[in-house]
Amino acid sequence: MSEEILKALTQLFAIITRQDGGVTEKEREFVISFFKQDLDQDTVSEYVALYDKFSGYSKEKEEGAEKKERKSKLTSVRDSVKVLGLCKKINKTLVQKQKFVVLIKILELVGSDKKFTAQRMEIINTISTVFNIVKDEYKLIESFVLKDNVEEINFDDILLVNSKPHEEVIASNDKQAQEDDTDEVSLTKHFHSNIDGNLIFLRIRSVDMYFLKYLGDDEIVMNGFIMLKNRVYLFSHGSTIKTPRGSALYYSDLIINFNEELKTTKISFNADIQELRFPNGAIGLRGVKISEGTGKLIGIMGASGAGKTTLLNVLAGIDKPTLGSIKINGYDTNTQKERIHGVIGYVSQDDLLIEELTVYQNLYYNAKLCFADASEEEIDKRVMEVLTNLGLDQRKDLRVGGVLDKTISGGQRKRLNIALELIREPAVMFVDEPTSGLSSRDSENVIDLLKELSLKGKLIFVVIHQPSSDIYKMFDKMYIMDTGGYPVFYGNPIEAVTYFKRITNQVDSFRGQCETCGNVNPEQIFNIIEAQVVDEYGQLTNKRKITPTQWNGLYKENFNIETVEDIKEEPPVTLNIPNKLKQTVIFTVRDTLSKLSNKQYLLINLLEAPLLAVILAFIIKYRTSNGGTEYVFRFNENLPAFLMMSIVVALFMGLSVSAEEIIKDRKILKRESFLNLSWNSYLCSKIIILFVMSAIQTLMFVIVGHLILEIKDMTFSFWLVLFSISCMSNMIGLNISSAFNSAITVYILIPLLLIPQMILSGLLFSFDKLNNLISTRGTVPIVADMMASRWAFEAMAVHQFKDNTFEELYFDLEKIESQADFKASYMAKELNKKRQFIFENYQDENDSVQRIIKKDLRILAKELDNESFKEGIEDLDLSTALTIEGYNKEINTQLETYFEAYRKHYQGIYNQTVDKRDERVYKLENNPDYDYKLNDYKNKYFNQSLADLVTNATVKERIIEYRGEIIQQIDPVFNDPDKPSHLFDYRTHFYSPQKHFLGFYFDTYNFNVTVIWLMTFVFYITLYYEVLGKSLQSFGKIKLFKKKATPKK
Amino acid sequence: MEILNLEGTEDTPKIILDKGNGIFEISGRSLPEDSAEFYQPILDWIESYGESPNSGTDFVFKLEYFNTASSKLILDVLSALEDIDGVTIQWYFHEDDEDMEEAGEEFSELVEIPFEFKTY
Repeated sequence: MSEEILKALTQLFAIITRQDGGVTEKEREFVISFFKQDLDQDTVSEYVALYDKFSGYSKEKEEGAEKKERKSKLTSVRDSVKVLGLCKKINKTLVQKQKFVVLIKILELVGSDKKFTAQRMEIINTISTVFNIVKDEYKLIESFVLKDNVEEINFDDILLVNSKPHEEVIASNDKQAQEDDTDEVSLTKHFHSNIDGNLIFLRIRSVDMYFLKYLGDDEIVMNGFIMLKNRVYLFSHGSTIKTPRGSALYYSDLIINFNEELKTTKISFNADIQELRFPNGAIGLRGVKISEGTGKLIGIMGASGAGKTTLLNVLAGIDKPTLGSIKINGYDTNTQKERIHGVIGYVSQDDLLIEELTVYQNLYYNAKLCFADASEEEIDKRVMEVLTNLGLDQRKDLRVGGVLDKTISGGQRKRLNIALELIREPAVMFVDEPTSGLSSRDSENVIDLLKELSLKGKLIFVVIHQPSSDIYKMFDKMYIMDTGGYPVFYGNPIEAVTYFKRITNQVDSFRGQCETCGNVNPEQIFNIIEAQVVDEYGQLTNKRKITPTQWNGLYKENFNIETVEDIKEEPPVTLNIPNKLKQTVIFTVRDTLSKLSNKQYLLINLLEAPLLAVILAFIIKYRTSNGGTEYVFRFNENLPAFLMMSIVVALFMGLSVSAEEIIKDRKILKRESFLNLSWNSYLCSKIIILFVMSAIQTLMFVIVGHLILEIKDMTFSFWLVLFSISCMSNMIGLNISSAFNSAITVYILIPLLLIPQMILSGLLFSFDKLNNLISTRGTVPIVADMMASRWAFEAMAVHQFKDNTFEELYFDLEKIESQADFKASYMAKELNKKRQFIFENYQDENDSVQRIIKKDLRILAKELDNESFKEGIEDLDLSTALTIEGYNKEINTQLETYFEAYRKHYQGIYNQTVDKRDERVYKLENNPDYDYKLNDYKNKYFNQSLADLVTNATVKERIIEYRGEIIQQIDPVFNDPDKPSHLFDYRTHFYSPQKHFLGFYFDTYNFNVTVIWLMTFVFYITLYYEVLGKSLQSFGKIKLFKKKATPKK
Repeated sequence: MEILNLEGTEDTPKIILDKGNGIFEISGRSLPEDSAEFYQPILDWIESYGESPNSGTDFVFKLEYFNTASSKLILDVLSALEDIDGVTIQWYFHEDDEDMEEAGEEFSELVEIPFEFKTY
């Protein structure tokens, strides 16, 4: 208290007491005892002198005559105004709570000699108005302080503690109410304790303060002081009252009686954890038994490594006890999760905030996910209410910020974390070290808040480390653990100090707190628990005086935990989760907002694609035309490489943008796991955002790239491929993001995922020239089929070749041309060669020659069977004729003529088609409706390099024989797939113009894009079931098992 | 603006608040049973006067006695006048009445309005 205020108070005291006959001895004594509480001896006399001067104490004695005259006089106007002035001064410095203390002191002063004259009371009344104290509260305080007959104090905010049995009081109240139907029903609350007389507690609702006074003859001790009779004391957090006969009365037990809300929420919490084993076999907790009811604030303390957080996690149902159970209202938290859904709130030690969002948004979206039916206004109101309660309303529009760019303070972050849980009002809350890293003021605010919540009926468990005295005292109970998960104390916090002192036979053991200042030193407890043995040289040894096991033994002896009776009703739940679709919308909006607010992220992601496109396209824009200097698309030899790089870019962007998504959210997911939100909705929201991002990125890439390289008419079709591949890549990214726990691991994985895609894309290395184990001639190897890049590349290459504005006019003809040409020039020759070889050797007895003959006959049979042109062999039964036994000269001659006819037939077709094509060109070029010039079109739309690639123009062997089949090497893009061997046979050679599936033929482009989306879908399934993460986990378990097994040998 | 005119009694002061004629006066004894209730119309009047005050306002207090409760409301009256420009308080006291003089001085310290002290 400042000097100024003390002076003001002294004057106030003086003015009041000098009214109506002046100061009495008792009043003066009261004032002196008031000074003595705060001041040293010298200063006390100074202030007493001041008081005497203002009150005219000594003067009065001399001027006894004047005294009588004064008595009848009214309060002088000067005094009135003086009081006003003093009160104004006090108003400027003291907070409302202190003003209540001042008012009570003044009332006590007047009460000390029971001179309640009208003028004195008028002054006090005026003081209370100037202090802005509500009239009703003033009346309550006045009668609490002044009346010493319990019956006369009849208010809602009064609690009487006396020896009357509780039931009797209630019964008599009811009786009274029935009898006289008047206002004289007893409103006071009652609590039973075996004491003489009454302890009267007062609650001042507006500031949430409690006072008490004692009327009786027992020696009642509060916080180590003997209470004077009829004196008003402040009843602060954590106070304990000891009575000579009854048991001690604790703050929380008494305060709870004032609380109406408590009666509506009923919670029973019974934890009986016999044992918790960690996966590595070590024991984390042993014999923990906790039993609590509604409205308690329980602290969990212990040396570091004692298992505090472990205990909290087990209590909260995150970890499962190896032996034992935790029951809330009789429902097991592990086996009956759905029954207590939404009851538990958990605030972890880490920040679980979305850093890019503002304080308000963080809470708002959380609230949206908790209250499906609430309207916008209701949610806004709720959020603002919580923010105001936590003192965060001024900060609501600030971005939360990360560890490095902090915009709100640590204390505010912590409070926001608590707010996120608070907003849905869980009935049981678990808070892990809410004060770590906070200033002592912030710590106190946070614990204050938790305390308030517990007073509203929540059951709150808090792991606390090095609490200050004030914080320590706020807890209703303390659970103290020792190294190795041994419980050593469970009970009132202040008792803890005395308990440990008593056990170790320390002096002063009955005193838990400092007698003069009321401070408790929780450090003491750990000093005692962990006290070390001193050796003969006076050095501390590593040995403990009392081991954890011994402490635990003492605990078992001294503590008998009574189980709270299970409440037989559903725990209160306010949670109402929106449906899956709404959840998806909320998640999406929240995530989008957080992404939009991260400017750097946004900028990089939007610029990445066009920038890469510029770099890539610019570098490979190869200028060469026959003699000219102009860039001609047709002669750009880099087009295939560009397509391939586009795919790599799409894959890369897709992966890198998604790889961190789930990892980043993991903390938030942990918090939200208590809400039981839909995983599917969450994933859908991620997918929506990522796909939109992929769409934008790939579109920009395609537009820029195509503009520079002058690729025409392919924008949509190439974009669709790249978009598809990027989406698939997003999905892979999400998969690894959900399976691995650090961003670095994920980024290391990216090359591992990308490089196979590049190798097996079909461009860098020809599928025909791969390792023999992988390669299958004539069809794309299965491993390559698993690479999205191969499907994408094929789709783009085939589509560009087949459907560009130039080629689409001739593709059908060129296809016939190519097929006829192949048969006439290569197939006929090859088959005829085989025939000749067979004819020459079919009678040879040599085994190896026989094998070749057999094989050749099979090939011939197959080819002829598939052949549509059969002139001259219609009557030949291929299955018998083309065997070693059935083969003869006649058949040979027949075949020889046939092959000649065959060659001629296809030669004819070829010539016809070439003519047709020329005719078409001629028609187009000479049609005035079109401005068609073959070469211009070809220059603009056709790319030679790509055409060479898809027609395999450079291949040396145009026809080969592989595993009993003749395979066409040249012109794959004109070569339709062979007859499928079964319904699901989709496999073809690379660059095939068509694909077969389920008896239908599909255009390669459409088919390949569909395949990529199918892959995306498969990855979604694995993501949904977390296949990768789960298999990694089981993989990890095997390893652990091996480790454990080795030492046994 | 309406004139507020209350006749004084044994326990209540005489009030004249007349914007048109520039008369603002509270005089006599003030110990009403419920002072808050008694002063409320005066405070209301001053509030509406404050919306369009005269260029100068000489507010006269010519009190013989007021009780503690009234003193709080007089302070409220003064605080209300504090927000109006051009207000001067004329604080009259009987030449023998030191208490009233000192009370006026105390009030003048609590609000920021010029006080003129006059005896009668």
